[in-house]
Amino acid sequence: MAGNTIRDYPISPLASRRGLKGGQSRIGLLLLLPAAIAFTAVILYPFAQALGLSLFEYTIEMSAPRFIGFANFVNIAGSPDVWAAFVTTAVYVSLATTGTLVLGLGWALLMNQPFRGRAALRSLSLLPWVLPSTVSAFIWAWIFNSRYGVLNALLIELGLVDVPQAWLSTPQGAMLAVILTKIWLSIPLFMSFFLAGLQSLDKEQIDAARVDGAGNWPVLRDHILPHLRPVLIIVIVLGIIGNLQQFDTIYALTQGGPVRATTVLSVEVYKRAFEQWDIGFASAIGVLWVATLLPPAYFYLRMLVKGN
Amino acid sequence: MKITAGILRSTAIVMALTTGIAKAADLTWMGSSYAEPANKPAVERMIAGFKTSSGLTAEPLGFAWGDMQKNIFLKARSNTLPEIVQLQERWLPTVANLKTLVDLNTVFGKEKLEATFAPDALALGNIGGHQWGLPVFSGTVGMVANKAVLDQAGVAVPKTVDEFKAALIAIRDKVPNSVPYPMATKNNGSIVLDFMIWNWVYGGRIIDDDGKVVIESDASRAALSFAVDLVKERLAAPEIDRPDSRRLTAQGQAGFYIDAPVTRTFLRDFSGKGEAFDENVLPMPMPVLKGGDKPVSVLWGHILSMFAPDAKVELDAPASKFLSYATSDEMQTDFPLALSALPTTKSARAAVANDAYLTNWAKAAGDARPNEVGIWSNAAELNQIVGEEVQAAILGQKSVDDAIGAMQARLSDSMAKAKQEN
Repeated sequence: MAGNTIRDYPISPLASRRGLKGGQSRIGLLLLLPAAIAFTAVILYPFAQALGLSLFEYTIEMSAPRFIGFANFVNIAGSPDVWAAFVTTAVYVSLATTGTLVLGLGWALLMNQPFRGRAALRSLSLLPWVLPSTVSAFIWAWIFNSRYGVLNALLIELGLVDVPQAWLSTPQGAMLAVILTKIWLSIPLFMSFFLAGLQSLDKEQIDAARVDGAGNWPVLRDHILPHLRPVLIIVIVLGIIGNLQQFDTIYALTQGGPVRATTVLSVEVYKRAFEQWDIGFASAIGVLWVATLLPPAYFYLRMLVKGN
Repeated sequence: MKITAGILRSTAIVMALTTGIAKAADLTWMGSSYAEPANKPAVERMIAGFKTSSGLTAEPLGFAWGDMQKNIFLKARSNTLPEIVQLQERWLPTVANLKTLVDLNTVFGKEKLEATFAPDALALGNIGGHQWGLPVFSGTVGMVANKAVLDQAGVAVPKTVDEFKAALIAIRDKVPNSVPYPMATKNNGSIVLDFMIWNWVYGGRIIDDDGKVVIESDASRAALSFAVDLVKERLAAPEIDRPDSRRLTAQGQAGFYIDAPVTRTFLRDFSGKGEAFDENVLPMPMPVLKGGDKPVSVLWGHILSMFAPDAKVELDAPASKFLSYATSDEMQTDFPLALSALPTTKSARAAVANDAYLTNWAKAAGDARPNEVGIWSNAAELNQIVGEEVQAAILGQKSVDDAIGAMQARLSDSMAKAKQEN
């Protein structure tokens, strides 16, 4: 018996040829099925349809879509409004991502310090993330409101302004408002990533640097940031993707205005589709919008697959 | 296999249940009035009355006024449009493109409809001889004043533009925290209506009857300059939409604004005083540029349209019976009045002739004209262009000349494109 291998034992005729793993993979596929069906129905099918419609002219005045090839894309190339939406998107994404990164990291460093009530404050920090984003948008709309806003009340109380300011009626004020709202919403997520990264930081290394006379900035620059590099990359990529997709807070806060000051690509697609009823043109912008999402998404997926 | 069979069984049960729910009512009614707390009880009365009189049931479906067009379009795309839809008259040129919209002349007969409805009301649902909807309440969009605020500022109802501006200055100076005239400065749909009326006051037009864009005129420049100056002088304010105007007025912080007669019902609700607030609601003629000019207003109303898969419906179908009930004397002497609007049938108008508010509103209407932007099939794009350019001027992002020039160019492009497609 000592020389027998597993092949020498008789195999039950009822046993699966692929062994135990075969059954596991079938269960796995079955468990995946609802998600796959939902993904196909809610995301893949509409996306494929939008991709197709981008090659058609289809407005509410038409009974059926008319194939026009790449004419919608040619029209986009000549549309100053769409180009302006690209620029607005770039400004919004870069400022919102940078702002969240800086403040999220700062808050994580603070929450990593030992102090009384830290656990409670950490939990409270998650509040903006828990609140529905449209609720947050309305809270911020109230803060910035020109007549009843908290911000105006505070500034008037401090004597910094004489009359209430219409923050959401200037291009800069409206952009600042939508960016601040998004930063406020995203800080908890970024902070959680950074906090997780900070847990594995070698404290002895920091203590040694301190003994050598390193101040806060050198410690952050030479020790903490290099340690957080993988987290930083993930957070930046996720931030860019999330901000490129942003629609609800912007629409709830400014509806893309004043005039077109906060009309990012997502709002532009909505306006073309549901205010001007130009589904073909809106689909074409949507396709380009997805194209802007692809590089960061590819980068992120590659990191996930490689296990970084 | 057992799991798969279970999933299939559950799906079948859910589908059977949802199909059953969908068929629980004889028809579905979709409208904005049902989504407005002030008007919801009146809709519920209509639905209940229909059940009592016909034994049929109607399921109400409410969407906010601003979301109605989007939902109509989405439901049309997924072939789930309800049988009856409440529309604002200015949406009709766009909705009339839908192939499932029923021409109600083919259901009720043109002669019968003409005999029943007041001509101005019936015209709200008519395009090119097709009766795409029956008017359910009507009126005009014009100016309304808050008597309590006027008294506080010590001013009378102004007749000319100069008197109007003097009244606004008095309100600004004597009523703390007020927005004397909450002109629409947010939301393209509202901005267009306010600008269109002031443009008429100054003798301008946006688009003439032949579809030619004529906004580039001295009159339109003067009208836009007037609006810009109001904001600069803090007589009007940024970030104002129609609901804001109503709330400011109900709170005694605004003297005048532009709205439809339904505004009284909103003011009753928003002031928290109910009918006791009515004494403050003064319909007034739109100020004129000089004595002798005729005040202007915009024809306005809501219609009920019918949708069917092949655009054909019999007279004894539940949806037809519902339209007959909604426009019967029983309903026309209740529903429009509850919403503070004019009834649409000849007999109901005669029956409510002693309603002082509606009579005053009708007197103040003056020269009531159709919405010159809303009548075109590309109205959605036209609204956006006018709204954006007027807002740009009001908020100081563009000069009046640049905004008017841009409007002329963009509107002309849009009209040319629409003509090409039609």
